[in-house]
Amino acid sequence: METTPIMTQNTSDKPVTCTSGIELKPYYTAADIPEQHRPNVDVAPGEGPYHRGFHPSGYRSKPWRIFQLSGFGKPEDENERIKFLLKNGETGFIMEHDRNTADHCYNVNHPDVVARREDVGLTGAVMQSVRDTAICMDGLPVDTSFGHAGGAVVQHAPFALAAYWTVAKQRGFDLSTISGTGQSDFNLTYLGCVTKEQIPTQAGLRFNADIMEFCNQHLPRWVPVSIAGYNAADTGLTPDQELGVLFANAVEYLDEIKRRGNMSLVEAARGCGGVSFRASIHIIEEACKMRAARLMWNQLLRERYDINDPKVGNLRIHCVTAGSKMTYQQPLNNIVRGTVMALGAILGGVQSLGVSGYDEALSIPSEHAHQMSVRIQQILQEETGIADVTDPLGGSFYVETLTAQLVEKAWTFFEAIQQQGGYLAALDSGWLHAQAGENQYQEFMKTESGEQKIIGVNCFKDDESPFQVDGFMGTDDAFDVATERLNDVLRTRHEQGAARALKQLEADCRTDKNIMPAMMEALAAEVTLGEIGDVYREIFGNWNTPIQT
Amino acid sequence: MDNAQKRILMAKTGLDGHWRGPTIVARALRDAGFEVIMIGMANTDDIVSSAIDEDVDLVGLNVGGHIDVAIRAIEGVQKARPELPIFAGGTIPPHAAKQLAALGVEVYPPGSQLTDIVDAAERLTGRA
Repeated sequence: METTPIMTQNTSDKPVTCTSGIELKPYYTAADIPEQHRPNVDVAPGEGPYHRGFHPSGYRSKPWRIFQLSGFGKPEDENERIKFLLKNGETGFIMEHDRNTADHCYNVNHPDVVARREDVGLTGAVMQSVRDTAICMDGLPVDTSFGHAGGAVVQHAPFALAAYWTVAKQRGFDLSTISGTGQSDFNLTYLGCVTKEQIPTQAGLRFNADIMEFCNQHLPRWVPVSIAGYNAADTGLTPDQELGVLFANAVEYLDEIKRRGNMSLVEAARGCGGVSFRASIHIIEEACKMRAARLMWNQLLRERYDINDPKVGNLRIHCVTAGSKMTYQQPLNNIVRGTVMALGAILGGVQSLGVSGYDEALSIPSEHAHQMSVRIQQILQEETGIADVTDPLGGSFYVETLTAQLVEKAWTFFEAIQQQGGYLAALDSGWLHAQAGENQYQEFMKTESGEQKIIGVNCFKDDESPFQVDGFMGTDDAFDVATERLNDVLRTRHEQGAARALKQLEADCRTDKNIMPAMMEALAAEVTLGEIGDVYREIFGNWNTPIQT
Repeated sequence: MDNAQKRILMAKTGLDGHWRGPTIVARALRDAGFEVIMIGMANTDDIVSSAIDEDVDLVGLNVGGHIDVAIRAIEGVQKARPELPIFAGGTIPPHAAKQLAALGVEVYPPGSQLTDIVDAAERLTGRA
């Protein structure tokens, strides 16, 4: 019998592939599910290998966290925006730091910052001392909410975390009970947004291990490091590569903790088991990626580290929708893109979610764009019924097949990274950048040729929208106020105490002592970010960046 | 083909390290035969001195931050070499794109076609 496709006129014989390069069939049957994955199909969520999730009741017992990246201007501007988001229903909060100063550990008076003073505060608040952080944290629910202290950048994380914890202590919160993260992610500035100056990767590994050990002792509910596959994926790595690179990164942490011998591997696995992924627009593939991630983490812990405690294998996933999929043209279309990408993440069972603003390609989010990102999540959570049943895609011939195929392909990329000497070596050599760069180019050429249609960009370009979206420009006094406040701190702090604390931090950096106790002392003594950055530059030097940035 | 004789300076005005856009544009320009000198994140002084020292035929700026920072670089280049054409790409919202256009700078926001950017390079360097 001859069948005629009804929905499509595409009679091309060209194979259809997903983003990971796996060829897709027109439909799937039970026979397609790979042999080794078949025993996994009929397990319940809450049972190994956990690709279906860790709790049978899923979102019924714990809705995903609405967790939006936020920050700009002065610390008080950022504080106001965070309170706005919380009032609108955000269920965690993220304190973003100004990238010019934070990423490079510069104070605002550094010549490279002064040279572009208008940029200061455009992507986050300037926080050079614990006084700035205190303004940003004013009235925030540190004890009842999951807080992101900033510190997404490896060399900046010890400062940002110590600042947050110091303010929390000053406010009377018990550090052993608060929860949150600082991320401290290599993919961000060693692969995705490479900074001008930063410590070499081995020094960064030491910082992260220091943070993990410090949290293990003092902040058991904190997520000390959070590997961000997002930053690798939005730089160009495909979903299978995103998985492979994330676990190759995790192995660096676990092996380092094992080598140092100060905390158990079980505790270390918990410490790096809160990760983030990008939720891109091929939503079935993305949902499969989240399922694959849980299965892989379980495999890795069992097979490589002999860890069988199911609680440790509980991979907690935060997701952010793909910023690079948001278009400059016809920006309101991005509300649809954000919704669809969020849906993919939720179908994959993530614990936490941020939706990119519809003005993502123009600027940081306006208040309205931010509110829409929250509303998208609330509509999905409250109106669609998507949260009623755990792992709603489980058992689909297609989804189970693609999940298993992604696992296999991701381990292949993981092995390729090991062949390069491991994750950090693959960053040092530029091997990962080359992979990402080639993917970026191929992806771009598909759009250029029209093979990949992007609505409003390379087709259907007429824009009749009466709604003007012109980007959010923040405030214009962030640099001046930060300069005043820096001078004020330097003038009014207890100078001897600050000098002593900085000296101790420097001494600890030179040995293999954990830097976090001295960092806490330094922040309490009002040592500033740029002073700490100068110590890093003196002791650790600069990473030999493998690409031109 | 005489594109090889045409030199393009590419710089980022911000300290923000997003490298997707400028890297892809640089590759497309090189594929079209141009010589591309990438100086990455650079201050106005570095951009101006490179534009002079490298004797380039065109300047491409990747703008990831405030438009005033880009404008300072543009005015610096225009003062030093008034005849030198400049084009720009990056997250440049419409109001800022108008400001650059008023300075005679062509703007290629996200979603621009590479062929349009290469065509512009050929036109601006007097090759087309």
